Amino acid sequence: MKPILECRGLTKKYGSTFALYNLNIALERGQIIGLLGPNGSGKTTLIKLANGLLRPSGGQILINGSEPGVETKKIVSYLPDRNYLGKHMRVDEIMAYYNTFYDNFSLERASGMLDALSIDPRARLSSLSKGTLEKVQLILVMSREADLYILDEPIGGVDPAARDYILHTILTNYNENATVLISTHLISDIENVLDHVIFLKSGQLVLNASVDEIRTQHRKSVDALFREVFKC
Amino acid sequence: MPWELDNDRPIYLQLMERIQHDIISGVYKPGDKIPSVRDLALDAAVNPNTMQKALSELERNGLVYSQRTSGRFITDDEELLKNMKMQLATEHIRQFFEQMHQLGFSDDETLQMIQETLRREKQ
Amino acid sequence: MLGKLLKFDLKYGMKVFILLHVIIVFASVLGRLIFLDPLSFSNPDGALVSQVVLFSSAIFFLLMAACFCTWLIIAFRFYRNLFTGEGYLSWTLPASGIQHLWAKIISGCIWYLLNCFIEAGCVLFLVSGSNVTEACSHIAPEVTAELGIPLSTFALVLFLLMLVSGPVSVIQTYFCVVIGQLFPAHRILGAVAAYFVSSFVIQILSFVLQMGTGLLPEAFFIAQTGSDTQFATYFFATIGFSCIMMFIIAIIQYCVIHYIMKEKINLL
Repeated sequence: MKPILECRGLTKKYGSTFALYNLNIALERGQIIGLLGPNGSGKTTLIKLANGLLRPSGGQILINGSEPGVETKKIVSYLPDRNYLGKHMRVDEIMAYYNTFYDNFSLERASGMLDALSIDPRARLSSLSKGTLEKVQLILVMSREADLYILDEPIGGVDPAARDYILHTILTNYNENATVLISTHLISDIENVLDHVIFLKSGQLVLNASVDEIRTQHRKSVDALFREVFKC
Repeated sequence: MPWELDNDRPIYLQLMERIQHDIISGVYKPGDKIPSVRDLALDAAVNPNTMQKALSELERNGLVYSQRTSGRFITDDEELLKNMKMQLATEHIRQFFEQMHQLGFSDDETLQMIQETLRREKQ
Repeated sequence: MLGKLLKFDLKYGMKVFILLHVIIVFASVLGRLIFLDPLSFSNPDGALVSQVVLFSSAIFFLLMAACFCTWLIIAFRFYRNLFTGEGYLSWTLPASGIQHLWAKIISGCIWYLLNCFIEAGCVLFLVSGSNVTEACSHIAPEVTAELGIPLSTFALVLFLLMLVSGPVSVIQTYFCVVIGQLFPAHRILGAVAAYFVSSFVIQILSFVLQMGTGLLPEAFFIAQTGSDTQFATYFFATIGFSCIMMFIIAIIQYCVIHYIMKEKINLL
């Protein structure tokens, strides 16, 4: 079986600076993978390349063996690191939107999760608080039966209770053959749910290992290792 | 409530220990069905694959056995459970003596102190 | 997929569009009932002329404003839906860039044409009162002589020209937005610059071509002095010329948009 995501010599330049340089990785199926690195290390660039929002300057990025396109977008569920929903829409309208465009979206699952949080489906997105909006976005993304979930900073800037809710939602909703790629710089918060971690530094790969390997070999947590690798 | 886990050891080892502890302390009785991997993982707030690995290891040790359709059960082999209990107890004692060594007490001194402590508590 | 995209594109500006056109239809009805119908054209004087000029200017301004707002809806939808935060969702839908482009072109044309028809309807309603048609029929021979064609034909041709220029201006708008997108730090500025630069190039080009084909007004009228139908001939010649120009330019601009939407999308 082809890897769900594969980078071959992937390079992205903005002007004359390299955001990613000659990246080679392959992600396995059925894993939760942490994409870790400080700000500006190329995490979001990699994610946007995987979603076809950016075009590589060199090399290739393949999702299930094909370059990002209509077919890959059907199987990738993506949570951007910013508010990406039209503010003029209502919660039920945006759900209808997802339901229209994604065959693998479960309206039932999404409604269930919104109900559990007692979010009014008739509420306008512009009237929701920042935290609630982030939860709605996560619910939309996790209500798809995707092969690859790409979550860009899902726990950045939320309180500990919201963070627990988010991790719980991810763990409950992804299916066992799917891969979840989570980018973050808050490692200690999600370390326990990760199988595997990828460290990026200045657009290059510094580490690609399983959490158990790191703990057995280095006798320290991924978080501690991260602090060591990226010491200022 | 997420389980409390240390930072410096593989997570699956800690999950194994926690489940072993639950078996000994009676949270699970011999022959009991244990929750599914996913439920356990959610409860512990860990990755389901890691929980799976922990349970597979416990299966290898014989503490847990799986029936193809109905799930995983705690062994009802009393002998095995007793052995595990003994093994854990031995481990605790060994660690205790090691710590006492670090404090500078010999085994004999330690033993004496234990007896004295027990005597005092009885009074 | 195209149908689904189209549905949401049309839904987007519907409220504003309807509101806008209800206003102009309402204004036209009011204008006719309150202003035009009571007018008598049998003994024209200076006051009547200035009143009519003022009224026509107001209606003209209103219609232009509705047209401009329709254009704004089209331009905003394209820009916001594809090149702002919303683009993160749009571009990750299982649709190709070309499907997005066509959904936007078709929805833009629908808005534009609807606007044309409603505005034409308003004008038609305004001038269809018996007092106005009678007044027109009095001066019709004179106008026909001056223009070389009847006023109604002239209006019809103008209307058809407006219909044709709809899709062309939609493509021109998208062209500018897409070019602006190539300069991530200054997207809107880039779009405005693209507009001025492309308009300038088109002006120069059409001037040069007009020179070449002898269609410049001065040259034309000097060459054809004395003919009764000179205006009509010139009018049709220019319209034919500009239609061909518009068509060619729109095709070139479409090719550029097509290429960029397919190969050069970088959402920063």
